Formats: sequence, C-alpha cells, structure tokens
Amino acid sequence: MFKLQVTKRSKLWWSISAGLLLASFVAMGICFSQFGAPLRLGLDFLGGTRLQLELACGDGNNQPEVCRQPIDINVVRAVLADRDLDGSSVQLLDRSSQAQDRHIVAIRSQDLSAEQRSQLVSALEEKVGEFDPAATQIDTVGPVLGQQILTSGILAIALALAGIIAYLSVRFQFDYAIFAIIALFHDVLITAGAFAWLGWLGEVEVDTLFVVALLTIIGFSVNDTVVIYDRIRETLRIREVASVEEAVDLAVDETLTRSINTTVSPLLAVVAIFLFGVSTLRFCCLSLIIGFLAGAYSSIFVASTLLAWWRKRTGFVPQVEKAEEAIAEGEMEQALES
Amino acid sequence: MQRQRFMLGFILSLAVLSIAVLANLPLNLGLDLRGGSQLTLQVSTTEEVPQLAPDDLDAVRRVIENRITGLGVSEAVVQTVGGTQLSVQLPGVDDPEQAERVLGNTARLEFRAQSPGSDQQFQAEFVVYEDLRRQQATAIAQDETETLKTVNASLEESRKALLGLFSEPSLTGKQVRDAYAQPEVGDQWAVVINFDGEGADAFAELTKGLAGTGRGLGIFLDDALLTAPRVDVEYAQLGITGGSTQISGGFNLDSSQDLAIQLKGGALPLPVELLETRTVGATLGKDSVQASIYAGVGGLILVLIFMILYYRLPGAIANIALVIYSIITFAVFALVPVTLTLPGIAGFILSIGMAVDANVLIFERTREELRSGKSLYRSVESGFFRAFSSILDGNITTLIACAVLFWLGTGLVKGFALTLAIGVLTSMFTAVTCSRTLLLVALTIPSLRKPELYCPDLPPMEKRRSRPAKRSPPAPND
Repeated sequence: MFKLQVTKRSKLWWSISAGLLLASFVAMGICFSQFGAPLRLGLDFLGGTRLQLELACGDGNNQPEVCRQPIDINVVRAVLADRDLDGSSVQLLDRSSQAQDRHIVAIRSQDLSAEQRSQLVSALEEKVGEFDPAATQIDTVGPVLGQQILTSGILAIALALAGIIAYLSVRFQFDYAIFAIIALFHDVLITAGAFAWLGWLGEVEVDTLFVVALLTIIGFSVNDTVVIYDRIRETLRIREVASVEEAVDLAVDETLTRSINTTVSPLLAVVAIFLFGVSTLRFCCLSLIIGFLAGAYSSIFVASTLLAWWRKRTGFVPQVEKAEEAIAEGEMEQALES
Repeated sequence: MQRQRFMLGFILSLAVLSIAVLANLPLNLGLDLRGGSQLTLQVSTTEEVPQLAPDDLDAVRRVIENRITGLGVSEAVVQTVGGTQLSVQLPGVDDPEQAERVLGNTARLEFRAQSPGSDQQFQAEFVVYEDLRRQQATAIAQDETETLKTVNASLEESRKALLGLFSEPSLTGKQVRDAYAQPEVGDQWAVVINFDGEGADAFAELTKGLAGTGRGLGIFLDDALLTAPRVDVEYAQLGITGGSTQISGGFNLDSSQDLAIQLKGGALPLPVELLETRTVGATLGKDSVQASIYAGVGGLILVLIFMILYYRLPGAIANIALVIYSIITFAVFALVPVTLTLPGIAGFILSIGMAVDANVLIFERTREELRSGKSLYRSVESGFFRAFSSILDGNITTLIACAVLFWLGTGLVKGFALTLAIGVLTSMFTAVTCSRTLLLVALTIPSLRKPELYCPDLPPMEKRRSRPAKRSPPAPND
C-alpha cells in the first residue's frame, strides 16, 4: 500500500497551509481597506438594485442588427450618466460559455424605485436594442434586509459550530473537536481568501449563494475530518502502535483512497456544472471546488498532523485496550448473528 | 436469507411507491428556477399601532392578497414571514413594476354614499361586477392566463363605473376601530363594525342621509367595492348612532369572517414597505434549470461510472442504491413539500456526495477485510459494521448543522438546510440498508461470489491465510 506518512513532513504541510492562509488574509486585508469588508459584498448584503438584461435575439435567422455585435459598454455607461447613476457598475456577460456574444448587460446601482427602473430600461432599449423580458433578472434589496441576512447568517454559523464541537467532544474528545473546527476554518478561510482575490482583481462579488456554498463546504469538511479521526481513534484503541504519529500515519494511509474518492465524486458533479451550467451558478460552483479541495487537503494533511502534534506534546502514550478490541469484535459478532 | 428477501421486497416497494408519488405530485420549483418575482414586504408599526399582533399581520396579508387578485397573477402565494414581514411570490411575472407600485401602499378603506338616482345603473353594474368577480376566481383557479387578462381589464372598467356612482368618501378606515364576524340566527352571520368617536358622528350623518332611500352605503377597499348594504328606514331620524353597526343578510361564517378581515386590514394604518424584490425571467429560470440539471446529471453519471470502474460489483450495486436514494429523496421533497431552489439543489448535491461517501467507506472497509484474509461474506458484513460509526458521526454532525441553520437561517439558507437534512436521513437508510441488502442478495448468487469482483489484485488465498494471525472466522452457510 502507498505510504504517505503524513506526520513525517508535518512542517511542510503546515507551511503550505500557512502560506495559503497568509495569501487569503492579505487579499481580505486589501478588500477591507478598499470596500470596508473582507470580501467584495454584493447586492444581497449592501442593498441596491441589480438589473440583468439580455438582448432579444432569438435563435432564428432574422436577428435584429444589434445582435451581430456585442453590446457597447460605453453606450450603457452614457445612459446611466444621463440619469445620475454614474456610480453604478456595469458588466457585460455572455449568454453561455460556448457563445462568447456579450449580449447580456448587468448593472448594479443604488436602490431604484419601480418607475426609475422602467425608465432606465426603456432608455437603454432605445440606445442598445430591445431586451428579452423573459430573460431579465431584477433584484432590489433594501439595506435593512441585507444587514438582517448577514447577522442571522453569522449567528446561525456560530451556533452550528458550537453544536458540532459539543457532539464531537462527546463522541471523540475535546481536542479532536477543536482540531476538526480548526480544519473547517482553514477551508472556509482559504475559500473566502480566493474570493477576496477574485473580488479585488476580478470584481467578483459574494452573494447569498456564496454563503450557501460556505455552508456546504463546512458540512463536507467536518464529514471528511470526522472519518479520518474515527479511524485514528480506532487505530489507537485496538492496534499496537509505538506512538500517536504512527497511529495517525496508519489511519491516514488506510483512509487515503476513501478521502480521494469521496472528494472526487462531488467534484465531478460540481465541475460539470461549473463548465456547462448557467453563469449565475459559476462562482457558486467555483467556491465549492476550492472549498472541497481545501477540505480534502486539511483533513488528510492538517487535521491529522495537528492532532498527532498536540497529543505528543501533551504526553499522550497510546495504549492498546485489549479488552476493547474483544468488545469491539464481540459487538460485531453479535450484530452478525442477529 | 428470509430477512434479506423481506428487506429487498420492502426496498423495491418503497421505490415503486416513490415513483408513484413523483408521478402524481409535481415537485415544487422555486421562483429562481421557473421564473417569476418574489417580493418581501415589511409591515411597519405606527403610533396608533405600536405592536403588531398576528391578527394585524393576517389582516394586512388579506389586503395584499386582494391587490394581487387585482393584478391577475395566477398561483400567487402570500406568506407571513417572522412577525413583521410578508413574502409575495408571483410566478411568471417578468417585470414586477406594477406589483411593486400596487403592493407598497397602505390600504385605503372608504365609506361612500350612493349618488341619488343611480339605482338602476347600480343594479346593472353590480350584477356585471359580481359576475366578473366569479369569472376571475374561476380563471385563477383554472390557471387561464389569457382569460384572466381580459376579465381583469373588464373588471377594472366595472370597478371604475361603480366608483363613479358613489359620492366622495364621508368616512375612512382611520375612523374604524374594529371589525369582526358575529353569529345571528342559525347559520346566519353578521359583520360588526365599531367606529371611534369622530367616526361614530360621521357614520350617523352618513346613514341618516341614506336610510330608507334604497341607496346603498358603499364600502370600498383600495377603490374596489366590497359591499353596499342598505340602511333601514327606521334610522332616517338620527342615523345609526352609538359608534357601532351591523351588516347582515346573506353571510355565512366564512364570508362574514372574510369581509371582517378585509375591513380590518383596510382600517389598519400600517405602512407597507418593499424590502426586496427578486425577479428571474421565465426563460432565464428555465435555462438555468436545464443547463444545470444536464450538467449535474452528467457529473453524476461520471460518478456512477467511476464507482463501477473502481469498486466493481459493489460499485454497481451502490449505483442502484444511489438511484433508489435519489428517487426516494425526491419523493420526500414532493411530499413535504419542499420548494426546490438553487441552494436547495446545492443541499441535495452535498447529500449525494455524502451518500456516495457512505458507500465508499463501506467498500474500502470490505476490501481491507478481504485483504486481511476474511471470507467474502464476512468481509462484506464487517465492512458495513465497521464503516457504520464513521457514517453515523459524519451524518450526525451534518444534521446538527442543518437543524441550527433551519431554525435560524433566512429563506435561501433554510431551503439548503431542509434538503440536506432530508438527503442525509434518506442516505442513512439507503447506504446502510439498501446497499447492504442488495449486496447480501448478490452474494447468494454463485456466479457473483468471486472475490475478484469485489477487490482487484487480491493476493491468492493461501498467502492471505498465512498472514499473521487475525482471527478468520468460518464462512457461514447462508
């Protein structure tokens, strides 16, 4: 069997994580100084109006003239400037990654009333071309609600973490729980860091879907770590090992195929949606991809080695509990008989 | 073996039942997936109403429902969220401009006297109006969008015509203190309205003028006629005094309560503020469903292929279990019912990931047991037995998180937590019971009882046997 022996190179794994975390903190720091938040917050949290309009081109041959070329972003900006909406951000998007047509314009502005909005749309239609009403997306979020979503989301995550720590402390031990949570923060911070970079360099904003993606990553990360910890606990309990490190190495090696396969399976689905799904889901999928990879890395290399390091430091000596082995086998026998 | 047969039958009938459920109950798609507008309204308090009671919110909801009926959107849903918010869902609405304009106003309840000499015209118009309202209700119930549009246009005309037959309002909802339904004789119900001091005087004045003339007292909510009762001749002298009145005749329990709640809603001076609107065009929603479902299904097929290539026979069996898993999960979604939104689908994908993980854990364990020299049957059994604690811990931590998120989260996050929780619970059943039963049944088929179908590159038997002592229990005869 392939021998990874994770604990032999703990320092290397920690350095890689530290490097990634540092890069994340740098980007979040830059974002904080520029936008006042560690990530470029989107409409959902700040409030305002977002309009996404698509040229009505249809699939037929007699497409209107405007459909031959991409939308001119300067024309859109001029229309916005006419209505004192200079501060709005404008982005051109493609209908799909196959057709690089730039026929979609997305505008983020301050909170617009229904009238202001329809006036803006008609002004744009005059200059740019007719839009397809069935393909529009309009979001208006009042600033109060954004704040509400943010606070309730943060409170929910904090309580969920507390619940997980409590459960793991009972089922395993307190230090297991703490390192599982550290691994979880590691994954969330690296994903958030990647989006801080994207926000700074690529104007990518985070929305509620991003929060949902983070929740998914949290669920995945804990599950991933718990399985390895379960194996470490079992190894310490029923096998003769000289040190914690040996037990951790064995446990990680033996669960390695599972860790990889378990990460690869959902990645297959998410990568497919990232490549071929609609643009609204693209960044949600990207965050999942980053988070899943970080989750696999932290479970295999970080959570395990940290536990080994901590147990060794606190003078833990593994003792085979023969009785337990017998009990474990006995339990199984019993279960098999029934 | 008896037990396996029984379980197999149970699983198969569950799967068939689920398919039947899915065939009969459509899945509830969220507006982000099928297109439409969702509006969140904040009901604020005022000096007169410093505290929002659940009754008040219901009254406001009734007003909002009235206005939406006026918009002519079929399948619209209005729900109260928390203690102070209303969520309005308008499927198929591309531009909620009209809705935003109409919904964000405080309700207007007005009492108007019918103009003299308009009796015949009123009778005629009222018949038309009632008829149109019935047509509207049918159109909404039967989801006939085109009919609804024409009916609504005529209704608007009819409403205006009726309004024209009444004088300027003499009394408004501000002066109404309360309205409620009250039983009369037998099945007969009446609606009681209480006015404040100022309202009592104005109402007495208004009714004095109308008593015995045969002209109606028009009660309008947002310019639409609710009812136009007549005032008996005995009140011609003084009008209806005492600050309270009773509208009776032709009400049953439901209709009287409905009118009372509308009056109350109209009387509440509660400002309604638009907090949020989210609109997804119909084709955009459809596109996002289609493209993403194709991509997701493609990804899942890759997972299934991967499972077979890597885990062979158990992989194939796990795939059957995964398909059964998906069918059962979706049937539960349809039964609960869960409104599927994008975050909900994310939750489902995560739960599939965890279901796959459960199988992967079990098969990896089975392989280890095989390599350590155990018999096939025993390896499979102990693979399930030993993987179980890992699966349990992983799933319970996830369920804890789901419970908290469902309890505290807002709309989208709630949807995620719900689908994930349902998925995890179902996968506990299918991974452990369904895969296990299928695998054990497969083991009874001699041609499938070859270790190399379970694990490639297995060292030959003698070698495995000679490995340092692990207990190798005798293979049970099954």
